[in-house]
Amino acid sequence: MEKEKKEISIIHPRPSSIVAALYTLRDLNVDVAILHGPPGCSFKHARLLEEDGIHVVTTSLDENGFVFGGHDELVALLEKVTEMFNPKLIGIVGTCVSMIIGEELHDAVLEANLDVPVIEVEVHAGYRNNTKGVLFALESALDSGIITEKEFDRQKVLLEEATMVEKRHGAASKEYLAPSRGDVKYKVAQHIIDLLKEGKRGITIMNAKKETGYMFADITVAVNEIAKQLGVESNIVNMANIDDTLGLPRVRHHAKCIMDDFNERGIRIHHIIGGMDEYPIAGDIAGKLIEEKYSDYDFVVITGVPHAIPMESISGMEIISVTNGPRQVLPMKEMGHDYVIVEIDLHPKTLGVNNIVESEFGATLREVAKEE
Amino acid sequence: MNDSKKPKIIAIYGKGGIGKSSTASNVAAACADEGYKVMIIGCDPKSDSSITLLGGKRIPTILDLIRSGVDITEDDVVFEGYNGVKCVEVGGPEPGIGCAGRGIIVAIQKLKKISKVQEECDLVIYDVPGDIVCGGFVAPIRKGLVSEAYVLTSGEYMPLYAANNICRGLSKINTPLSGVICNARNVSREEEIVGKFAEEIGSELIAFIPKEQIVQDCERDGFSVLEKAPDSEIAQVYRNLARAIMSRNKSVMANALDDERLRELTR
Ligand SMILES: Nc1ncnc2c1ncn2[C@@H]1O[C@H](COP(=O)(O)OP(=O)(O)OP(=O)(O)O)[C@@H](O)[C@H]1O
Ligand code: SF4
Ligand SMILES: [Mg+2]
Repeated sequence: MEKEKKEISIIHPRPSSIVAALYTLRDLNVDVAILHGPPGCSFKHARLLEEDGIHVVTTSLDENGFVFGGHDELVALLEKVTEMFNPKLIGIVGTCVSMIIGEELHDAVLEANLDVPVIEVEVHAGYRNNTKGVLFALESALDSGIITEKEFDRQKVLLEEATMVEKRHGAASKEYLAPSRGDVKYKVAQHIIDLLKEGKRGITIMNAKKETGYMFADITVAVNEIAKQLGVESNIVNMANIDDTLGLPRVRHHAKCIMDDFNERGIRIHHIIGGMDEYPIAGDIAGKLIEEKYSDYDFVVITGVPHAIPMESISGMEIISVTNGPRQVLPMKEMGHDYVIVEIDLHPKTLGVNNIVESEFGATLREVAKEE
Repeated sequence: MNDSKKPKIIAIYGKGGIGKSSTASNVAAACADEGYKVMIIGCDPKSDSSITLLGGKRIPTILDLIRSGVDITEDDVVFEGYNGVKCVEVGGPEPGIGCAGRGIIVAIQKLKKISKVQEECDLVIYDVPGDIVCGGFVAPIRKGLVSEAYVLTSGEYMPLYAANNICRGLSKINTPLSGVICNARNVSREEEIVGKFAEEIGSELIAFIPKEQIVQDCERDGFSVLEKAPDSEIAQVYRNLARAIMSRNKSVMANALDDERLRELTR
């Protein structure tokens, strides 16, 4: 076991706990999420989440709200969204402003007295690990009986693991990580095709975080398509974290949709390595499988959260990684990944979809294969 | 008078309830009596700084008006009280709601924008609430408005402790201290203790205000001592303090004492 690094002061901006809470509410299938704070808070993610079918609104606290509090505004907004969207479940998320001035979300909920259950998340953006936002949202969901104790405990373990993964080799591993576009997709695509042509045996591991799997799955598909074209389909072993019996309802749904698509395209997933929220621990399962069965394979294509796969199990192979985090390139190169590719702006394209969407790298692979 | 000179802008800090507001309003009244143009800016959500200069009446506060969304002009928030003293109250949220500190920041910036009265005065007093607890409470200093800070204390341990903390805070934000004022609570050796404290932090005791029932009697009726009991002894004390402040041009970076020394002082 690696010794835990002491807390470092990270200077690159990163998603906040507020945003993490919003995404968690989305996974809990709220119809409306209310940000109790300034109008511009978390704008970009709020906008993205709308693509996923949830309404995100804000109490738009202004200077008056900062000074006099925003209780009345929150009550009014609770009533308004209930009327406008007829929701079955509402979430409220705190912000720095409302938390610093001591707003009581619960008082507003009591006063609004709606028939709709409300998940209250007292959170601000000042936590070192943004997984705090997830935790607070889940705690509140547990309190309101929306998730079970068992699911809560399971999620808690995953969150701790996720935090560790990021600290070890992820975006929280260094004080500053410059964003990078990674290796040129065209060259890496050519290289994979060459490997396949040489009869080399490879593993694909999709270890994706929730909905991002809709695009990372496309790379699994593309590699298999090309192997088939070259008549070396049997040289490929596929692993993916798409167990549709695990996680919050929305997350299971993603797993099912992706599995259906794999089936439809005739792609066999040899090993399901976990649920779609298990990316922090599924890597270990993949690692064990490799050690047991595939340690003599030549290359591995890992997508999603590649830095969660233990290096011991794959260090003998050529490692090709695909991430959607530009700051993830450097740490993975340092880990010893030979190629690191970035799917820029992946996340927005995976919101509000129910099918695998084409990735840039998948498209590149297909193009290069055509030219062969 | 005093047209060419920059106004003297002061703030009086001290433990909650120690007598900052009553000292501020009595000093304001005394200075006005001397012919100075004086302004008092109450920075307490309680809005109780100017009330004894206005015959017990309350004035609309800056934050109330900002909140109501109207366009504010000088006339809406600057009121004339006893002997021409200009009175302003910042106002703020009820206790336990919102953020009074932010309120002070917002209100004094607004005031600066809509009114030039401060610049036309000889003396401007910012009356701030209790201890310095957040950035908003030192905003008048931080925003470069206040040029002189005074500390008000009695000879009791807790007020001195608070005064000492305030001195440390002032030094931390590079603000010199212009003097220590003793507002008596009738503890033994009070003048000596506060005098010693002032000396050891590197400053001076510039006034000793005795505890007199008449201060509270006047306050209850809505007046300063200067207005209601101008011939009282304590009225003269406030006059002397007013003169001391107006003529003062010395200030030092205070050296806060350590806790042990502070205890020793009050023993
Ligand atoms: N020298 C004095 N003699 C008698 N009573 C006094 C004297 N100074 C102040 N008081 C009384 O003490 C009470 C508290 O004073 P005041 O409100 O001025 O304190 P403060 O420091 O402004 O309080 P806060 O921190 O709450 O603003 C008032 O009732 C006031 O009349
Ligand atoms: S500082 Fe906090 S409340 Fe303000 S916009 Fe940023 S995250 Fe939101
Ligand atoms: Mg006061």
